[in-house]
Amino acid sequence: MKLQLIGCSHNSAALELRERLAFSTVQAGQALERWREKFPSAEAVLLSTCNRVEIYSAWDTDAVGPDHRQVAEFLAGFHGLNSCAILDNLFEQSGEAAVRHLFMVAASLDSMVLGEPQILSQVKQAYRLAQEHQSVGPLTHEMFQSALRVAKRIASETTIHQKRVSIASVAVGDCARDVFERFDDKQVLVIGAGQMAEEALRYLQDEGAQHVTIVNRNVDRAAAMVEQFGGRIAPWDELDEALVAADLVVGATGASEPIFSLERFQRLESRRFQRPLLILDLAVPRDFDAAIGNRLGVYLYSIDDLEWVCLRNRQERDGELPAAVSIIEEETRQFMESLHHRATGPIVQRLRRTWQGLRDRELDRLFHKLPNLGDIEREEITRAFERYVNKMLHPPLERIRDESRQGHPHGLLEALKRLFHLKD
Amino acid sequence: MSGITTVCFAASYAVALALELTRLMFRSSVRGVLLIGFAAAGFFAQTVYLIYRAHAAEMIPLSSAHEWYLLAAWMLVATYLYLSVFQFAVASGLFILPLTLALIAASRFASDRPIARSPAVQAWGAIHGVFWLLGAVAVMIGFVAGMMYLWQSYRIKHKVAPPRGLKLPSLERLERVNSRAIVVSALMAGVGFLSGLILNIVSHQTKQTEVPWTDPIVWHSGGLFGWLLAAALFSGLYLPARRGHKVAYLTVASFAFLAVFFALQLSGSTEHGGQGSPEIPTRSVSEDLWSPASLTLRVGIVGWKEFHT
Repeated sequence: MKLQLIGCSHNSAALELRERLAFSTVQAGQALERWREKFPSAEAVLLSTCNRVEIYSAWDTDAVGPDHRQVAEFLAGFHGLNSCAILDNLFEQSGEAAVRHLFMVAASLDSMVLGEPQILSQVKQAYRLAQEHQSVGPLTHEMFQSALRVAKRIASETTIHQKRVSIASVAVGDCARDVFERFDDKQVLVIGAGQMAEEALRYLQDEGAQHVTIVNRNVDRAAAMVEQFGGRIAPWDELDEALVAADLVVGATGASEPIFSLERFQRLESRRFQRPLLILDLAVPRDFDAAIGNRLGVYLYSIDDLEWVCLRNRQERDGELPAAVSIIEEETRQFMESLHHRATGPIVQRLRRTWQGLRDRELDRLFHKLPNLGDIEREEITRAFERYVNKMLHPPLERIRDESRQGHPHGLLEALKRLFHLKD
Repeated sequence: MSGITTVCFAASYAVALALELTRLMFRSSVRGVLLIGFAAAGFFAQTVYLIYRAHAAEMIPLSSAHEWYLLAAWMLVATYLYLSVFQFAVASGLFILPLTLALIAASRFASDRPIARSPAVQAWGAIHGVFWLLGAVAVMIGFVAGMMYLWQSYRIKHKVAPPRGLKLPSLERLERVNSRAIVVSALMAGVGFLSGLILNIVSHQTKQTEVPWTDPIVWHSGGLFGWLLAAALFSGLYLPARRGHKVAYLTVASFAFLAVFFALQLSGSTEHGGQGSPEIPTRSVSEDLWSPASLTLRVGIVGWKEFHT
């Protein structure tokens, strides 16, 4: 069995690359379909968030799975990129390291903002999508189910999730507070109506924002947000007007291209009379051209620009990490043990079948030679043979279990195969 | 009350500034108390010093250029203490205390010869001095807010993490302080300038010491008032000028004008405020210590002295 993770995250790749490799939900579904066609023997789950694009794959030892280069070509091919440009930016982990990484990700220990709750639902969504597109298999199923369980365990047994924090919360709490003294008299424009937009709006309302305008291509989703948070909906074609009036803009759409280019912004700029504008571009790919941040009075923050805030948040919460990390280590070890033990299953079964076959044949031969035996004697002899077989099998099976705790017992299994002529 | 000199309260403020600087290096739970304690002790000593001087000279505290500088510093420290108590997280001392120390240092070079003698001249002199004082303090507060704004804006624009312990107010608040400082300083400087003109005319009529109309300080104070008025009108009539960097630059430029004003006054190239006169007493710490003022002050501040020793 082989477990593999290939991808990029905020720790390894800049936002410029991550936004080029990002998948919308629809794109992720298409990518999984394409994966199944290209690598039919490999299970896969695709996790694409604003901080990471990661493909978790698994296949049986006998099967052939995609290597680093093939995954890079797959990702690049889907987005119409040159695979050479991304090859070196993708990291790879396999086996135990891949499992540990997924557990860390699901528990939000690998997030920009330590303990942010969004990632768990994103992992769930990624797994569900893989199920819908039938790219998930027994290994990835086990892996993701364990990851979700570990995340919940960390949430309940540690204090890491006690403070409600997220990218949106640090963006509002730290960056927006540096610019604005109060929010109740500010015009807030939220572009997009997804989870990130909701999260940002929730924090803005906690800070006192009252004048909120939501602009989204899908008006129904915007209406649902307005129903939950209040504010007003503006049609998509009034976005420019809304931007002119805004003091604070949250960009959180799923658009694959920037909504505001520099040229589009410059056309509106003079109407703002240099009023300060804070743009929190929380979308990946970004909604605002980075060059807009150079304009007078504009303060543009994208996800990666929040790094120092997130780092400070992480430093403040460093004390809460060891307990969570120790749970991750314990769970990873248990998962790998169970995985390795499961890998020995077919050999153990074959071994049992072989010995039970021998037992049955010997019993048949014995009962054939001793036809006068009564039912009670036959029963006793059968049980004695069973006990004998079990006692003979016990030491090797125990040894296999012990070896499984250290890793996959390849050598032992191979020896058993050869000693007892166990065929695949 | 022995030994209250400008050096005493300057030393208190210097210690408070040093403590402010340690914000950048480490966290401390007792720093706040020490910081406010030193600043408050200095403020108390300075208050007593100014009251005594006013009482001893039987005049208002603004009777000499020396006191004018000390009163300006006193007002800045009052502002600083207010901010320290109500917004301790904001590192305002890093910006305000250096200005305070500079004003105290300037006071040592300024004349302490009483400016006005007759009641009429004294009244107009008081108006002139008080309004210029308020105008100058407004300019200095605007300057502090402007510098804070420019640093905060640069930091946010370039995504620079704030140094540990250096928390500044929001851009919105700094912008508001800047805008108000410009308007207030223009109004105060206007009254101060006009009352100065009247004072000079009254001094001429009562045959008392007057400042020649060709004195550089007269022209420069006129220029400063003109600049402040222009800045206030500019920011009032032209909307973008009220915002962001523009208003911060206006306050910084106003301070530059004020600094030249101080330099002219202290350089001795003017007869304004008793400067340039051969009778200017040369001040020293030892003289301060043994002056009648100090001897009287020593009586009541024994505890304060023990605190400092």
